Amino acid sequence: MGMTQSPQTRQFIYFAAAFGAGGLLSLMVLFNGTLATYGSLFFASWVPHLTGTVAALLFLLVLRPTRAQSARPPLWANLGGEAGAIKVKLTSAAMNSALALSGTIALGLAGQMVFSLFADMRGLFGLPQRTPVPRDYLALTLIIAGSLILIFFGSGS
Amino acid sequence: MIWFATLAILAGVLVSLSRQINGRLALSTSAMESSFWNHVVGLAFITIVALLVGGLFAGDPAASPWWAYLGGPVGMIFIAAGSWLIARIGAAQTALLIIAGQMIFGGLLDIFIGAPGYLWARTLGVGLILAGMWVAQGSKT
Repeated sequence: MGMTQSPQTRQFIYFAAAFGAGGLLSLMVLFNGTLATYGSLFFASWVPHLTGTVAALLFLLVLRPTRAQSARPPLWANLGGEAGAIKVKLTSAAMNSALALSGTIALGLAGQMVFSLFADMRGLFGLPQRTPVPRDYLALTLIIAGSLILIFFGSGS
Repeated sequence: MIWFATLAILAGVLVSLSRQINGRLALSTSAMESSFWNHVVGLAFITIVALLVGGLFAGDPAASPWWAYLGGPVGMIFIAAGSWLIARIGAAQTALLIIAGQMIFGGLLDIFIGAPGYLWARTLGVGLILAGMWVAQGSKT
């Protein structure tokens, strides 16, 4: 990304990238969920981590992206994958309870949003600190309301 | 019930937590290197737990359609994108826009594969999400 773009252009690129990433996530859920209907839950999580590792390694070897800093990042910064892997187990446990899939997804969205807001306000983990403004809360309310309607009535799961 | 609700909420917290940790790593390295570590550490963790618990190859995984195996490369791009975005637009906006995209594309996938669901709910839900994105677009990042 060059430094010549206007702030509006840059923001549009970020928005489009995040929205597109959400689209990729829905595909991923479909792919991994299909694996889980044939194999075990472990298998459905193990395979994408294995092929994802290989794909990332190939990408790094071929394109060799430059490192942002020469200093070593803290060791805990390498543990994001473990948090992700534990999440799979928690989700599957909750999904098979009375909460069902819809309730599990809805509560997961709530936990994700509340913790994200908290992290932004505090600037957790050395990421930029930012304070949400009323406009951000309005956007949050609209998107979460629409998501809940899709989850509970539009089979958006 | 409270116990399972706590698990579900905690799962959401972990999604955000892992994106923040990956984002921090991407700040020092690159989004793709962060995605690599995310996958390799997750792989090691799942392998150890699966070996301890057993049943990794239970069921009939060979019978699944070939495209179901594409989740890994898709996830690699997804994690890299999240790590790249979180330092630029913040954790909340990254999460919110990813959710918006997941819901809208997920709804389209549902229609495509013929999943049941009310048309009014799909219309209203997508409308609210688009309105929320329009509001978010005007905010400073």
